[in-house]
Amino acid sequence: MANQITRRKFLISSGLAGIALKAPMLFANTSGSTALSPTMRRIPGTDESIPAIGMGTWITFNVGGDEQLITQRTEVLKTFFELGGTVVDGSPMYGSAADVMGEALNALDGHDRIFAATKIWTGDESATRAEAARSSRRWGVDRFDLLQVHNLLGWQGHLETLKQMRANGEVRYIGITTSHGRRHREFAQIMEREPLDFVQLTYNVLDREVEDRLLPLAQERGIGVIVNRPFQGGSLFRRFQSEPLPDWAGEAGVGNWAEFFLKYIISHPAVTCAIPATSKVEHMKENMGAMYGTLPDASQRQRMAGYVRSL
Amino acid sequence: MSGADWLSYSLQDFVMFGPQVFLRLFVRINQDLWPWQLLAVVIAIFIPVLISRQNRAARRLAVGLMSLAWIVSGYGFLVGYFGPINWPAAWFGWAFVAQGALLAAAVFSGGVHDSRLAIGRLAVLWLLAVCVLPWLAMADSGQWEAVGLFGVAPGTTAAAGALALALVTRTWRWVYLPLLVLWSLFSAALLWVLQTWWLLVTPVATLLLVGAGFWLSPRTAQSPD
Ligand SMILES: NC(=O)c1ccc[n+]([C@@H]2O[C@H](COP(=O)([O-])OP(=O)(O)OC[C@H]3O[C@@H](n4cnc5c(N)ncnc54)[C@H](OP(=O)(O)O)[C@@H]3O)[C@@H](O)[C@H]2O)c1
Repeated sequence: MANQITRRKFLISSGLAGIALKAPMLFANTSGSTALSPTMRRIPGTDESIPAIGMGTWITFNVGGDEQLITQRTEVLKTFFELGGTVVDGSPMYGSAADVMGEALNALDGHDRIFAATKIWTGDESATRAEAARSSRRWGVDRFDLLQVHNLLGWQGHLETLKQMRANGEVRYIGITTSHGRRHREFAQIMEREPLDFVQLTYNVLDREVEDRLLPLAQERGIGVIVNRPFQGGSLFRRFQSEPLPDWAGEAGVGNWAEFFLKYIISHPAVTCAIPATSKVEHMKENMGAMYGTLPDASQRQRMAGYVRSL
Repeated sequence: MSGADWLSYSLQDFVMFGPQVFLRLFVRINQDLWPWQLLAVVIAIFIPVLISRQNRAARRLAVGLMSLAWIVSGYGFLVGYFGPINWPAAWFGWAFVAQGALLAAAVFSGGVHDSRLAIGRLAVLWLLAVCVLPWLAMADSGQWEAVGLFGVAPGTTAAAGALALALVTRTWRWVYLPLLVLWSLFSAALLWVLQTWWLLVTPVATLLLVGAGFWLSPRTAQSPD
């Protein structure tokens, strides 16, 4: 992926130019900005930047052998690429999602466009390499950009192997994940001690516990942050979508609820990338919209959090 | 994992596919099987005819056909279609195959009794199960191709299959029971999370039919076991 950066940038900008020609309103956001460049975030300690909105695959890409749905999910991935996305997150825990991702990547010839992130999810701490190899076969990638220990399962053994793999060039970045606010104390201890490139954790406009400790710690330690469950598994839409956006949403660069939730997250200075999951092309377009235009500043972020609390 | 960690999990966290994907399993298996599911319909109608003959060979044939239905729906639907998106479903699939093998063993080792039964009630309950339950997947999905037939869809198969409790002897009955209960609980939890409310009737019906199977089974004194 790193040596494909020029080609990728070209693909992104030519894709965006095409989309912008077809749908000029897409990027003419309510704040009046017509910026065409996606919000990119530097991976701490490197010169490499990744788009601030990525894509999750939990539930949405687990469609088994259903050819009709595989074709439809391929369209979702295609839209993601066309709108400048690269970071895709998976896990061996997500059923058939890895195979479906492999098929979609084949169909789109997308292996050189993706920042492929998956997880090691096995209690057998000696099986790190075997599981990474199985996942790369399923995704059809030579190696992963990022391997993360899923929910800290067997993290000691896995992390040791992952460090060796990174040193040997078998993987580019390594990390650990948690979600739903679980095991934050232990998570922080690992962040303090281990040479991690990324952590993945849950953060959204309602679940903000990580603002106190984990996000500042990531900044201090130079660790990239990938945010899972940015929509609280979809429940933010179920709770708030019927409510109006605040009058001042446009000033914060927000044109719809997807942008509201995602821009809140990616405007935090510690956050590298949020990975919303969707099974729908329309939702993907909305979500990727959050990567364009202005981002809320610190005081607008406070207002955003206050607004959803008041609803 | 600490106790507090476990408390942070909800049933939702264990269901790793959406309702659309689940309901399409019914459509896909019906499309792929066509027209062989017609045979399953014929068998489903033929079974109460066999049972009503109050003749041991006919009754054994009926139980044998039920055994086949468990195996086909377990291996076909659960292992083949559902398993790839949900590992527990594959385990249940193999358990269905084992349940079918169990019924087959009952057929061949005298586990099917020839005591008198309330045939009319049994037949009515059977026909209700195999004629009404198949439409529930259709009601949830809005597609008639999603019909969940006996011998194809595990829910309808287990529900109607619960009535085999009335046909087998006591020991076999108790061995046959656990999967019926486990499957009902598992599928009820799953359908609840998926919010496929119509289909949720199936596990409830299965548990009621388990009760009916016991109620219709001959008294212990009459049972040869
Ligand atoms: N421990 C871990 O490592 C861990 C744990 C949790 C999650 N993750 C990762 O993080 C990713 C994201 O988390 P998540 O999938 O749990 O939840 P999420 O991204 O917060 O929410 C996904 C849900 O939001 C809905 N949605 C998405 N965009 C929408 C839009 N524009 N409008 C309305 N609804 C929309 C989706 O439904 P539609 O399909 O209808 O769009 C889906 O039901 C996962 O996929 C996974 O890769 C990792």
